Amino acid sequence: MGQAFSYDVFLMDKIFLVISTLCFFGGFAYAVNGLRAGRHHDSRANLLVMGLGFAFLCATLYLRGQIHQRCPITSLHEVLIFLSWSMGLLYFILGKSFRLSLLGVFTAPLVLLFQLVALVGFFMEGTPAAIAKKTDQIDVWLELHASVSLVSFGALALAGVAGLMYLVQNRQLKRHQLKTLFYNLPPIQYLITAMFRLIAIGVMLLTIGTASAFFMRNVPAPIHQGLSMLTLLLYIILLVLYRRNRIGNIKLAQGAILLFSLPLLILMIL
Amino acid sequence: MNILCLGVNHESAPVEIRERMAFAHKNLASSLHDIQALDEIDEVVVLSTCNRVEIYAACKKIENGFDVIRDYLDQHFQMQTGETVDFYKLHNHAAARHLFSVAGGLDSMVLGETEIFGQVKKAYADAQNAGATSRALNKLFQQSFTAGKLIRTNTQLTRGASSVGSVAVDLAEKIFGDLSKCRVMLIGAGDMSRRTAKSLHSRGAKSIIVSNRSYDNAVKLAQEMDGKAIHFDDWSDSLNEVDIIVSSTAATHHVIHAEMIQSAMPQRGHQPLFVIDIAVPRDVDPAVGDIENVYLYDIGALEGIAAQTRHERKKQVAHCEQVLDQFIEEKGIDALAPAQSGPPTQSPSQQQKCDASSKSTSALPES
Repeated sequence: MGQAFSYDVFLMDKIFLVISTLCFFGGFAYAVNGLRAGRHHDSRANLLVMGLGFAFLCATLYLRGQIHQRCPITSLHEVLIFLSWSMGLLYFILGKSFRLSLLGVFTAPLVLLFQLVALVGFFMEGTPAAIAKKTDQIDVWLELHASVSLVSFGALALAGVAGLMYLVQNRQLKRHQLKTLFYNLPPIQYLITAMFRLIAIGVMLLTIGTASAFFMRNVPAPIHQGLSMLTLLLYIILLVLYRRNRIGNIKLAQGAILLFSLPLLILMIL
Repeated sequence: MNILCLGVNHESAPVEIRERMAFAHKNLASSLHDIQALDEIDEVVVLSTCNRVEIYAACKKIENGFDVIRDYLDQHFQMQTGETVDFYKLHNHAAARHLFSVAGGLDSMVLGETEIFGQVKKAYADAQNAGATSRALNKLFQQSFTAGKLIRTNTQLTRGASSVGSVAVDLAEKIFGDLSKCRVMLIGAGDMSRRTAKSLHSRGAKSIIVSNRSYDNAVKLAQEMDGKAIHFDDWSDSLNEVDIIVSSTAATHHVIHAEMIQSAMPQRGHQPLFVIDIAVPRDVDPAVGDIENVYLYDIGALEGIAAQTRHERKKQVAHCEQVLDQFIEEKGIDALAPAQSGPPTQSPSQQQKCDASSKSTSALPES
């Protein structure tokens, strides 16, 4: 009986992920089309599609949790799904409050990429029993470490996205070349604030994630730990230099984009 | 029921004619009643702005409708014998389409301006309040509001700013977002800086500092803007306190140098600074624009953006026409305002292209 339930769940999570990916693709295509047509107002339809994509992503994670009976972060493709989820969550929370509706246009391709890679992984994985076997022991510290670190990566990814938007907007303003994108991007002051806050949120969460790793039953590999510490250190240095006016907004934006390669590297070696 | 439109606009009549034919708002209700009381006329809306005077009416017979309104205008505005006015005369489908173009800003002197939309709404509300509209014009004007909104949201006709002052304000909003927390400093109290400051003030900028060689003029302008005046020698001390600088002095050399801005920037943290140089010759050293977080726009750059906007808007006209065609097809305007059965009428813009002999010129009665 339990095995039959697992098989149903095992199929449904993939269907939900496919629907979610299609929704994000639809939202991205709609936004790009809107940009090309010059529409520069928030679209409820687009928000609805993005919301649906996020809801199906939540459902996917829920079903994966049912299979594992724990937080579903046991493989690279699940990690990518979780990362997409955290970016989606931050987009809905921060995107609206900072009036960065266009963040979705920049976030969607990254989420799409993560989900497409995850989909390939999902369809190549073994039976539910084989998957469950890998995760028969639950370590609370591991759960905390993995989940909080991934949400922090989501915040840092969005900081990179905000950084990219800042650089585009700054370039257009400096060169007096006000193209279609200019009218759709948020005010540069909002981007500066969002960038700083997202990095600060990311650093706070990463600190908790990195610290919790020290209490895990099986301490992560030294390279994993070392990279996490290095990432944290570099982001802290970036924030301190910025706060002390040693670097300006451009360097902060460039730093936010470049430093995100470190979390990606950590995910790759996971 | 037929719908007609008789009018003049900035293309068909000089300002002398338009100002003579303008309806005073205080007498509008009685004028509406007078027109509605004319033979054949059942409903009427008068759209009277500085760029156009148009009378929309619902009537039983088109030609009679045009004639009685023209006679009324002649009498009402006391036109002299022999005076001619180039009225455009549109009816049914053409009249409806023209109204939609007007509401969408397609027929405006500044293409894509949005003020006209409010003016059409007001003209309709005035007529409605005077009891001069009924089913035909109610429906037509409601449709025109939908058409106007459609053009605004589905095309780029209203995008960007087409004058120097509005470009500056748009840029300020793209840099700071909410202008209510922005502090503005005017260096020079000339007409251009006064207008730009008023635009910024109208969008929320509250804290305005005015510095001028003539301190009295600075005080005068500062009072207008609820700001404060400072002596011309002191303006550089306030550099780190302001977010927007508008400079328009009559100096023949640079007044704001890169070193001055550079030294003020560290005290501003990471706050951007927007410098608007509307003086000719320029007040601001172009090297100021190279400083991080400083966005420098001189009069040439502002005019360039305004011209680009106007050019882009012109390119949008064909697309807007398509949007209107589609709207008319979908809404079945023909049922409301049936296709013309009499001689073809021309839109005001089409009329402009015709030679004088083919114009729908209406000579006011000679005797």
